[in-house]
Amino acid sequence: MGLPSVILFGVNLVPFTIDFIEFYALYLAISLSLNLEFGYTGVPNFGKVLFIAGGAAFGGILSGFLAVQITGIGKGQDYLALSGRIVNQIDLNLVHNPILAIELMGFALLIAALIGALLGFLASYPAIRLREDYLGMLLLAMAQFFDVAVRTYSSSPIAIPDPAYYFSTLGPGVEGLVDDAIMVGFLIAVYVFIEKVVRSPMGRTLRAVRDNEDASAALGKDNTKIRRNVLIVASAMAAMAGALYSLYIGSFEYDTWTRFAWTFWPFLIVIIGGAGNNTGAALGAFFFSAIFKGLQQEQQALQKYVSFSPGFVNWVQDLLFAGMLLAILYLRPEGIIREKSSFTLPKKVLNAIAKSKGSGGASRTSGKDGLLARVMGRLRRGRGGRGESADASPGQH
Amino acid sequence: MVPQYLISALVYACLFALMGMGLTLTYMTTKVPNFAYGDFVALGVYSAYTASKVFHSNPYVGSVFGFAIGAVASAIMYLGVLRPLAKRGSSMVSLMIATFGVDIGFVGLIGIYTDYLQYVQRLIDAAQFYQLGPDFSFGGYAGVVYAAPISVIATVAAIYLLFTRTKFGVAMRAAVENPPLARVLGINVDLVNTISWMLAGGLAAYAGALLTLQLPAGTATGSNLIVEIFSASVLGGLNSIFGAAVGGLLIGGSEILLTLDLGLGFGYAGAVVISVLLILAGVFVFKMKKVQARIAGAVLAAFGAWILIDMAAGFPVDFLSGELVFGFGPNVTPYQQAIPLLIMAFSLMIIPEGIFSIDFRRLLKRVKS
Repeated sequence: MGLPSVILFGVNLVPFTIDFIEFYALYLAISLSLNLEFGYTGVPNFGKVLFIAGGAAFGGILSGFLAVQITGIGKGQDYLALSGRIVNQIDLNLVHNPILAIELMGFALLIAALIGALLGFLASYPAIRLREDYLGMLLLAMAQFFDVAVRTYSSSPIAIPDPAYYFSTLGPGVEGLVDDAIMVGFLIAVYVFIEKVVRSPMGRTLRAVRDNEDASAALGKDNTKIRRNVLIVASAMAAMAGALYSLYIGSFEYDTWTRFAWTFWPFLIVIIGGAGNNTGAALGAFFFSAIFKGLQQEQQALQKYVSFSPGFVNWVQDLLFAGMLLAILYLRPEGIIREKSSFTLPKKVLNAIAKSKGSGGASRTSGKDGLLARVMGRLRRGRGGRGESADASPGQH
Repeated sequence: MVPQYLISALVYACLFALMGMGLTLTYMTTKVPNFAYGDFVALGVYSAYTASKVFHSNPYVGSVFGFAIGAVASAIMYLGVLRPLAKRGSSMVSLMIATFGVDIGFVGLIGIYTDYLQYVQRLIDAAQFYQLGPDFSFGGYAGVVYAAPISVIATVAAIYLLFTRTKFGVAMRAAVENPPLARVLGINVDLVNTISWMLAGGLAAYAGALLTLQLPAGTATGSNLIVEIFSASVLGGLNSIFGAAVGGLLIGGSEILLTLDLGLGFGYAGAVVISVLLILAGVFVFKMKKVQARIAGAVLAAFGAWILIDMAAGFPVDFLSGELVFGFGPNVTPYQQAIPLLIMAFSLMIIPEGIFSIDFRRLLKRVKS
């Protein structure tokens, strides 16, 4: 059983789409977690790669250790050195053992979430005490240290068992569909969770912490605690995404985890779409993935024209992303979709209240009702009014 | 004859002093940490490489051209990216993200250039190379051993004279302290900022070029050194050029020497000194009168005391004191950047205003009481 092939302009669309969805879901999940930190709460996490790679390393490799313990394959051998051979046998074993496969994946996700939360907690200690510039420098330096340390520690990739290996025996491309389903399921969970949070009173608290620390403190909110919790939750989600990615590619490679791919690109996605806005992040991730995957697809063809530089398309892609970021920061800093002001109740209900109280209650004008009507009137009229522009670009204090 | 490790520590420290001074200059003028700063270092690295390998000259020539290239690149970055964004009213975080974007742009440009070197000039080691030559030698030491400290001293002296003796330097200080007021007084703040940025980029590239005389380097060098450069600048307080020079010297020196000592072992005397220092630091922290500080101080002091007791009890009882004396072996080197990182984290927590803000007399009193 194989997948049908649809060829358009010399590109087989089926594997391309499968690959595209995987990439899109992964980057959107990471960008959403960054949006929660940076867009909604105003903690610019310039060390994002640290949390993602931490989840990938610990979640992925420890699930490999667990598989060795349970199946007994390669017991007593040096897993890190012989991982390729051991994992091959474990994968073959997993075909007959679907429960173990599911267990392994759950274990990897759980470990990743714990590690992410732990790293987030550690990073939150400075994060809640320092100004943004100091915090950015510290987080970037931490991520860079991690990068240099693991790179010098070992340069050979470590293989990781593939829980979805069974499906690859069914035919070419089937495993890709299953991987897509897993990643999209994870993405939906993340999306729904973050939407729930930001639409709740908690979400308005987060924006208050971002926009005016003093005011939120005066209203009895504990800014440090809120920032810490957001960092922990967002880092746990990022780490889980990292673990899923490492299971998907089936190895942990040190070269993968650069600060460009896992810190800069998520920032780019959030900035393109509009910070503090999950729909925007979804749109930004789509643009980004389309450009990235499209270039990757056509790399061979484009590269033919440039003989002097085998990596030319990659380098131009870097320049392109840099240019995109700078252009959007200059031309439309609020992103494609502006952040919308958040309502305490559904808009319909608010409108109804405003209408009934505002027009009918002229005889017994209490100040409160009149005020509500005025506020609602302004909200209805004023797209881009005063309240809007204060929300538009996060992090402006 | 001075031992080799001291000499390499000196050169390393001086290079970080130069780079730290540059980063501090950019921070002082625009109040934005420049994440693309490592790429200016990379520009210097590749101008030295080009001078040495393509034109068969020496890296010193490259360092002069590197200064010019770094200065121009830095000015373009300031005038082309940061100033328009700041004029538009972008927040600090947006500006930080913009410098991140410039960083990836520079990586692309440098990547194209190294590809050109590799596949057109047929220099196979362009992406990662060993130390460059030829370097002159004088009195038994390589030239860079003189060049690096002299550059630091000359830069510090030049900046000092500029700031105190010239009209332009005073204008510069005014523009840094209070830009609106300086503008009212007729000082061209944009010009001052541009020149500060040029100086900063030039210093970074110059230091990068000198680095190739001492250490292996490559495309990743600039990014990898970011940890040390930021630490040097933060330790100096981010607002003091001379603080950054001192910070760079401390960071570079301590990183090399401590890594070496952790690898090879401190010897008996060194281990005793460390445990005594740990106890003193613990007592100092304990006096801060905060619950967390008390716990941390007690742990530090107990740790130091434990090492001392271990050693007194006869030594290989415990692996820790034994490792301190005999060393952890060469596998500590991948983690050597932990030292500047820790220094940076601690200085941010304890002395955010930098090393010059410490009132040493009060400190002494506090320890005594």
